[in-house]
Amino acid sequence: MKSFSKMVTPYLVWMTVMIVVPMLMIVLYAFTVQGNSVLTFQFTLNNFARFFSDTVFPSVLWRSLKMAFITTVICILLGYPAGYVIARSAPNRQSVMILMITLPTWINMLVRTYAWKGILDASVFSAEFKVYVGMVYNFLPFMILQIYTALSKIDPALITAAHDLGADNRQTFLRVTLPLSVSGIVSGITLVFLPAVSSFFIPKLLGGGRFVLIGNLIEDYFISTGDWNFGSAISLIMAVIILISMYITRRLDKQTGEEEGD
Amino acid sequence: MKKISKALLISSAVIAMTGCSASSGKTEQVMDAQKEFGCSTINVYNAGEYISESAIPDFEKAFNATVKYDVFESNEIMYTKLMGGSAYDVLVPSDYMIERLMSEGMLQKLNQEQLTNLDQISDDVIGMRNVFDPAGEYAVPYFWGSVGLVYNKNNVDPAVIEEKGWDILLDSTYAGRVYAYDSQRDMFMVALKALGYSMNTSDTDEINAAYEWLLSMNKAITPAYVTDEVIDGMINGNMDIAIMYSGDAAYVLTENEDMAWVEPKQGTNIWVDAMVIPSNSACPALANEFINFMVDYDQQYANSEEIGYSTPNKKAAEELSAGTYEGISAYSPRTGYEKDEVFHFNPEMTKKLSDLWTRVKMSIN
Repeated sequence: MKSFSKMVTPYLVWMTVMIVVPMLMIVLYAFTVQGNSVLTFQFTLNNFARFFSDTVFPSVLWRSLKMAFITTVICILLGYPAGYVIARSAPNRQSVMILMITLPTWINMLVRTYAWKGILDASVFSAEFKVYVGMVYNFLPFMILQIYTALSKIDPALITAAHDLGADNRQTFLRVTLPLSVSGIVSGITLVFLPAVSSFFIPKLLGGGRFVLIGNLIEDYFISTGDWNFGSAISLIMAVIILISMYITRRLDKQTGEEEGD
Repeated sequence: MKKISKALLISSAVIAMTGCSASSGKTEQVMDAQKEFGCSTINVYNAGEYISESAIPDFEKAFNATVKYDVFESNEIMYTKLMGGSAYDVLVPSDYMIERLMSEGMLQKLNQEQLTNLDQISDDVIGMRNVFDPAGEYAVPYFWGSVGLVYNKNNVDPAVIEEKGWDILLDSTYAGRVYAYDSQRDMFMVALKALGYSMNTSDTDEINAAYEWLLSMNKAITPAYVTDEVIDGMINGNMDIAIMYSGDAAYVLTENEDMAWVEPKQGTNIWVDAMVIPSNSACPALANEFINFMVDYDQQYANSEEIGYSTPNKKAAEELSAGTYEGISAYSPRTGYEKDEVFHFNPEMTKKLSDLWTRVKMSIN
């Protein structure tokens, strides 16, 4: 077994170079002033003070979190019935339906969003609505697949047992099926909420450039303003919020898991 | 000055194209770079979609050299990459960025003896360059232009837009039919100019007035803030008015004859993108040759005809404006108008404006 553990080395090297180092650079940028050369650093907390002392930045952050939250809720509401129907279908029909859901994801997300832009540009909907359409469309497959996987793992004997013991359909769903599929919902939330909160090209394309989310803000400060330090500070603030929300979702998952055990 | 948000997608294609496309066939080998200078490779860093397909192969053939061509999305990205220690031999940034690089000692002086083609550049463009490089020691103009309004003649009365200039953006008649440019620098320029101020102001009251102007513009016309999409959008006639760079406008006007161009009477931003050599260039001699090669008539003609931006080469500009771009007013932006200005680099202002800019964008929804 010990010799196998060496096989992880390439991955560790890769991860250090491609993930850890850039992360550290973001942290470094976030805590330094602009105009440093590579070797001399001047540390500061001003980037964070600037973010929180102005009402406009927290309001962009709040809007992003709200949009990501609503997108996630819509994805659960649409994705759960879809996943349920698929999991209950005959096996050969299941694979066809899963194929139909995964098929669009073979095409680049950017291209599909451009297609939506073509469809929605002429419509009268508000920028906000268009962005919701793009978000839900892009992230829904992740939710459906997670929920489907969790549901299809449930032993049909458990459902039969519930019926035998006198539970009607509603009781069976609420007390057997739903609790057993919570893990799927939780991983679906992670896969939808995280990309939704940091998405920048969906609001940029579908929102007509006038619907600013935190991802657009970061992009602006990196690309147009050239203020990498403030851009990094915003990224870092968002990373912390994402870590916290992941922690909370994990806790929820654990709690429901423990309740099932009782 | 061109900002290409699709550059990431396109850059690889551009490099592939320039790598294998045939040269124009006119060029003969004039020199062997390795023998002459002891190095035969230069790294060129330019904006995306900003060079003719034949330029690089032609140069490589003429000098028996290798050009590694790389593209950036914005001046700011280019700057950060330089700060990170990337070594290039030729850069093509905008005026204000050159000003910044000069002030930070990141550029080296050009070798005037090698630059034999400089006399082909028109005096007007030399005048614009003199604003940031008075002695012409560091920069050789590459493309130049202005910012103005493209409008659909069928839906907007030319007399009205000429009369109102930038203030047409406050007219709610055009609500929902306007493209604004998604750039803090360009939009604050529009607002400051509309109010009759300098775009290089650092006066807090003037800046606040410009901020208020942009808020009322958002309210009056709810513009769509776009960058490159404006080109296809106006060619397809999706909107009636758009803030655009002159070179992009020239392209739109050639593709859609309903579109017209106006440079507002309140004045606008005149800009020059120019070639410079960073101080850490490994092969400055060949870099000077490249710059000289690029300002020559043949290359400028091909470059400007293909890209649509105005060439600093006097003869090429005259021929193109009477030939390929005949009747396309945006190809020849006005010169010598007293209210037009070149933008100056000012880090404090950029920072101040960026926070206000976020507010402007947030005010719509």
